[in-house]
Amino acid sequence: MKDDQLILEMNNISKSFSGVKALVDVSISCKKGSVHALVGENGAGKSTLIKILSGAQRPDKGTICFKGKNYESFSTREALSLGISVIYQELALVSEMNVVENIFLGREIRMTVGIIDSARMRQEANRLLEQMGIKINVNREVGELSVAYQQMVEISKALSRNADLIVMDEPSAILAGHELEQLFRIIQSLKDNGVTIIYISHRLEEVFRIADEVTVLKDGQHVVTRSMEGLSRAELVSAMVGRKLEEVFPQSANKAGECVLEANGISTDTILKKVNLKLHRGEIVGLAGMVGSGRTELARALFGADKLFSGEIKLMGERVEFSSPADAIRKKISLVPEDRKQQGLFTELPIKNNITLPILKKISNWFLLNRKMESALVESSKKQLSISMASEHLDVQFLSGGNQQKVVLAKWLHTKPEVIIMDEPTRGVDVGAKFEIYQLMRRLTEEGIAILMISSELPEILGLSDRILVMSEGRIVAELEHSEASEEKIIEYATMGESKAA
Amino acid sequence: MTPKSNFLQKHSLILVVYSLVFVLITVGSIYSERFLTLRNLTNVLRQAAYLGTAALGEMLVILTAGIDLSIGSLVKLSVLVSAILMDGNPDNVMMAVGLTLALGLGVGLLHAFLINELNLSPFVVTFASLFILQGISLTITTKPIGRSSKDFLLLYSQKFLEVPIIVYFFGLVTLMVAFLLNMTVFGKHVYAVGGNLTVAELSGIPVKKIRYGVYGICSLLAAVTGLLWLMRMGVGDPVIGKELELNAIIAVVIGGTSLFGGRGTVTGVIGGVLLLTFTDNLLVVLGVNQFVSGLVKGLIFVAAVALYKPSESFQRATA
Repeated sequence: MKDDQLILEMNNISKSFSGVKALVDVSISCKKGSVHALVGENGAGKSTLIKILSGAQRPDKGTICFKGKNYESFSTREALSLGISVIYQELALVSEMNVVENIFLGREIRMTVGIIDSARMRQEANRLLEQMGIKINVNREVGELSVAYQQMVEISKALSRNADLIVMDEPSAILAGHELEQLFRIIQSLKDNGVTIIYISHRLEEVFRIADEVTVLKDGQHVVTRSMEGLSRAELVSAMVGRKLEEVFPQSANKAGECVLEANGISTDTILKKVNLKLHRGEIVGLAGMVGSGRTELARALFGADKLFSGEIKLMGERVEFSSPADAIRKKISLVPEDRKQQGLFTELPIKNNITLPILKKISNWFLLNRKMESALVESSKKQLSISMASEHLDVQFLSGGNQQKVVLAKWLHTKPEVIIMDEPTRGVDVGAKFEIYQLMRRLTEEGIAILMISSELPEILGLSDRILVMSEGRIVAELEHSEASEEKIIEYATMGESKAA
Repeated sequence: MTPKSNFLQKHSLILVVYSLVFVLITVGSIYSERFLTLRNLTNVLRQAAYLGTAALGEMLVILTAGIDLSIGSLVKLSVLVSAILMDGNPDNVMMAVGLTLALGLGVGLLHAFLINELNLSPFVVTFASLFILQGISLTITTKPIGRSSKDFLLLYSQKFLEVPIIVYFFGLVTLMVAFLLNMTVFGKHVYAVGGNLTVAELSGIPVKKIRYGVYGICSLLAAVTGLLWLMRMGVGDPVIGKELELNAIIAVVIGGTSLFGGRGTVTGVIGGVLLLTFTDNLLVVLGVNQFVSGLVKGLIFVAAVALYKPSESFQRATA
């Protein structure tokens, strides 16, 4: 067998989701027994590509050649039996079952009809784990193991299926430093045994450390595939960025006023570590960072949804303690959540009810709702935010993404907030509505509201923010003024691992 | 954490259940001389077989994160059907037993069919079934009907080595369910379906077949319970089976089975069954008003659910 034999070739793969192109003519090939890194910003198309490879999605166009055979597409089960295993960030384990049972789930070793051979399964599980150089008590429930060990159980599961190709989707995102070393060691030994690995990560250090080759995706297109040899970090970053600002952003009035919200060294038992933050009246602060860097956790902590482990939050200079989001709302902080369908709206209720829900008390006399006042409020929201709706009685689920987002905003604006935290404010919103939301955000700041905007879209962060905070691994690693920020800088900071940040 | 302390921690609550049973026995023997006699104890065990057989079936369903609310009604219908079919004639015993078991199995498979193919929730399907089966029973009769054959009736009081044979039978059912859950592929898949349905599906586990299995066995065991009642009553009495499903669910939960599926042991469920049965028996021995029984069971139930609820720190560690 030659060293550079290709085990996988995905040729000219295209895939659209309801008109949005997720992948356009992407080709990628992996050599047997190598580690192939797949990098790109959030939304570059990495996940879609992997889902096609795992059989979870069918490509619209293109072919997959695995171990010399051509396929148009395959089912998840076919992919598994071909020897392709994907290890997702959300590990596919049953936490109530033990290590052995999980490794062999669905493929139990049987003595005779239907009776399991526990002894052999245990033996085999121990052999697989030993092969990777790990010591775990295989009788322990998986739910009791650390995430790192759970991940290793997943890898053993893949090995027990004789996987030739293992895809690891951001495996390091859930690991601590020393656990990462162990993962690298396992990857090395898998490689030695001829297993091919596709390694997805946004931490460039790791890519430089273990990958033999790298493929960069961007906006659903293939940018470059090359050997890691002689590749510099700067080259890789510029391959990942290389885009112009397409949208037009409303100009900042630059009238940052007094400090409204201040966080001093807050840590939570999620991943936040000593985060300092100041928000001033009339400014939009962009919070950048990769998924899992702690952006959402910071928002939750400021909103009282997660308990503080240490540190303090000050509102208008006064120390406050939020035991629940209700406290935060009372103190005029609003959160526009990332997943508006799950967390921001009652999609099966009419627009009217969604908008007036937090302020029902204000628009009722004693316990009787004042319908006229309610309709007037909804009407004023409609005008203020130019929500296009046929009727206020329409269910929210029938609105477009942009209009839904406006309904969420309308709801919070009626509580007269001082601070609005917006998590991915334009996700799933079309370009036109995006621009309207940007303008709206700007207008709100002109009225003296402070906005903290979390976004994975760098152009949005760069175009809209007066200041940009970059998070990585639970810390704020950089603060950039609007004028000095660039995509390269943000990516540079966002992808630096613990090693550099420390 | 060493495996041993881990084992103790995981099963400590089940130990609590068994200790409570022991406490009840002690209290009983202090208050009444009759309590700690072989006769009373074996009687209690025989009583436990009635609740226990049904509870083991219920446990299988709950392990898959489902529920079966219909078993009380099915027990009622099984008593009536078997009594009518047997009609006091020894020649009819095999036929009556066979058809009653087939009826039970059929009802269970129908439940699974509706859950699998129409995507209905187990709660809705079996809740409807509770009323439908009860309706059928009460349409057949509101008074005792049919008759057990004499031989069949005698099985109730028959003993082997001073112990009623129904107790041996119950022991056998218990072992069979334990074997099924611990030693077979089916058993592992039952836990997987309840533990994490998505993972189970992705692992190629035939989820629908597992559901046919657990609902089928659950209803089959309900039919068996119905036959045990016929042995005891000698006639088809439509009063039988009232609220049995609730007692069974309480026993299963007291025994440490999670209502969300994926977690639970046969040992625990048997503990739960014994605790409930001894509570009832003790209240009778102490001459306490029988309505207090419901109150006590309710309290035990809430206490059990609160105790078994994984602590917050544990949940975070596994999240």
